[in-house]
Amino acid sequence: MTQGDRRSAALLLSPAVALMCIFVFLPTLLTVWLAFQDWSSQTPFSSAAFVGLDNFSEIFGTSSVGRDFKGALANTALYTLLSVLLILPLSVALGLMVHQRRIAGGTMLRTVLFSTYMVPMIAVALVWSKLYSPTEGPLNQMLGLVGIGPQPWLSSPSTALYSIVLLNVWQQIGYFTVLAVAGLTQIPGSLYEAATLDGANAWQQFRSVTLPLLRRTLLFSAVIAVINAVQVFEPVALITQGGPVGSTNVLTYHIRRVGIERAQGGLGSAMAVTLMLALVVVVAALFAYANRKDHE
Amino acid sequence: MTSNWTLRCVVAAGVSLFAGASVAQAVNISYLTHWSPETVALLEAAAKDYAKTNPDVTVTVRAVPFGDLLTTLRSQGGGADGATIAGIYDLWLPELVRDKLVAPAPEAVVGEVKSGWPAGVVSAASVDGTLYGIPNEIDVYALNYNKALFKDAGIASAPKTWDEFKDAATKLTKKDAGQQGFGMINSWAAGVVHPFASLLVSNGGDLVVDGKPALDSKQAGETFALYEELIKSGASDPSMATADANTTGPFLDNFVSGKTGMIIMANWWESALKSGMGDKFADIATAPIPVGPSGDKPRSISYSWMTVVNANAGEAEQKAAWDFLAWLNSPKSAQNGGSAMAGILMSMGILPSRSSDVEAYKDKLGSDFLAGYVSVLADAKPFPVVLGGQEFSESLQQTLEAVQYGQTSAKDAQQNAQKDASAILEKAAR
Repeated sequence: MTQGDRRSAALLLSPAVALMCIFVFLPTLLTVWLAFQDWSSQTPFSSAAFVGLDNFSEIFGTSSVGRDFKGALANTALYTLLSVLLILPLSVALGLMVHQRRIAGGTMLRTVLFSTYMVPMIAVALVWSKLYSPTEGPLNQMLGLVGIGPQPWLSSPSTALYSIVLLNVWQQIGYFTVLAVAGLTQIPGSLYEAATLDGANAWQQFRSVTLPLLRRTLLFSAVIAVINAVQVFEPVALITQGGPVGSTNVLTYHIRRVGIERAQGGLGSAMAVTLMLALVVVVAALFAYANRKDHE
Repeated sequence: MTSNWTLRCVVAAGVSLFAGASVAQAVNISYLTHWSPETVALLEAAAKDYAKTNPDVTVTVRAVPFGDLLTTLRSQGGGADGATIAGIYDLWLPELVRDKLVAPAPEAVVGEVKSGWPAGVVSAASVDGTLYGIPNEIDVYALNYNKALFKDAGIASAPKTWDEFKDAATKLTKKDAGQQGFGMINSWAAGVVHPFASLLVSNGGDLVVDGKPALDSKQAGETFALYEELIKSGASDPSMATADANTTGPFLDNFVSGKTGMIIMANWWESALKSGMGDKFADIATAPIPVGPSGDKPRSISYSWMTVVNANAGEAEQKAAWDFLAWLNSPKSAQNGGSAMAGILMSMGILPSRSSDVEAYKDKLGSDFLAGYVSVLADAKPFPVVLGGQEFSESLQQTLEAVQYGQTSAKDAQQNAQKDASAILEKAAR
């Protein structure tokens, strides 16, 4: 590459790089800097006072701030784990179903599945909060018809988070099914023909052909599902407000409460930085796992 | 020809000057509230009336759910484009003043408010003696009970003491029918803390004394124990107590549908009860908070709301905002001697705080439902307005919810609540 080429490349890349610096790197660096400051989010940055690691020691300490943060971190981790564990296998199962072109109504089924992803979360939250209503909700009424007693759903700390996970899975499954279908279409039909000639049954074909060749799609789906789950906010803000007893208090909602409602910008930033680091570790672990499988 | 052109130029210059003057005088102000669409329509109608005599001022109303009000104020209030006027809960005022988000009231407004409102209400809208808002509503807690359920359970009258209260709650509980005696609330800080605080003050205690938490008192211990007893006996079912971001949800549904015998709530939910119950609203009665073993008379908690002006808004906007608010809260804005604001509040069953408004709405305030609230107002203690108050409320909410769900004992809850509250208030005061 000549010097002229380099200049042209730099010139062409500079608008995108500048935008990324302004809208991605700068806010990230600012958040990291604020995590080490005592700062009210309603005052200018000049009023921030350096406090070293105090904010981090407080959010991991034994005070109510620490308890609430650790609770929110655990809730977010559980929510993410359950969402990914449910979404990935379901999306593959549904993807296999709608990928069968011979089945009548396959396209219709695909559309119906994807439509849940297009419904605004405000509508989803309103409808599901009524579906989950302990005394008048249709879910409990349907359970009653088959002899199962009423469930507390969002009204109990032991079931509220799981209920929000179900809502999330319902809304997101269509999108991940589309991803799975896209992955399935990339698998050459000749491999299945060869496997059939070798006497492999459907389950063996799935284990030895479909799953290995879907690995890249599943890795992408897993990363997106993790990021989406970690960022859960609307259903909590709209339905449960983090309760009862903080059982649905997830990190994004908690950071908003601390950083904006209480204006404790330094503490909120320390929480955001911790969340970002946790996310980086999880996503890096997923990629490392996928790479190891590739080498095997 | 020359004079013709001269005349045209003079006319054109005059027109442009006039147009310029009109543009310079036009002021747009916005009003942030958590009210429902029906109530927002009343406020918009009042703004239209104001525009008849003030054609250069345009008032637009922005409404958000209660759960988002403080966040919206915090996230938008720092800039000049934030709402010019906001309706706020008095607990939020000290921190909004500390962060210089709200403007002090001009002298004329201070004089009007000091002469027109009770001193206690004026002090709740002030920080360090400076008035920051025009008070409008005052809310107080009382016992609401379902007379039809009381009759079915053979209870003759509302409970006056905690023993009678526990007895009534037990008699009203019918687990097979999904009916609870006393309805608590969860997932909403004020909904959890205010009923507890009302029982606490009716037992002779306080949440905060001289800026320090007083949850380690004997009276507070008895109040935590009352909660534990109601939960353990099954007279209160936490799974029927959930609230959502709009301060509605199962806790309201259960009371409205006759599944909850008693609840401690503020007067403002009259409109929600009326719309949910229809004719059955007549079954609902109001009584003072039952007196605890360490209390001397029925007491409860009160709190107030006010309208404040964005300190970062332009000078003209601030001036127009104060003028609009002064008009909205004065008898000039309505025909019956009360203010337009009082009319809006009364449509929701909310007690206005201006003395002339109370007088103007004397008849309506004497209704079966509201009279019970008006009668307890004199002995109500204002909810403590301190720096860190919101965090303190949310922390106590967590502890009380843990008691509701049997995750902690009353004794441990009391210790934790006092410890957390001390740390929060100390840190906020630094």
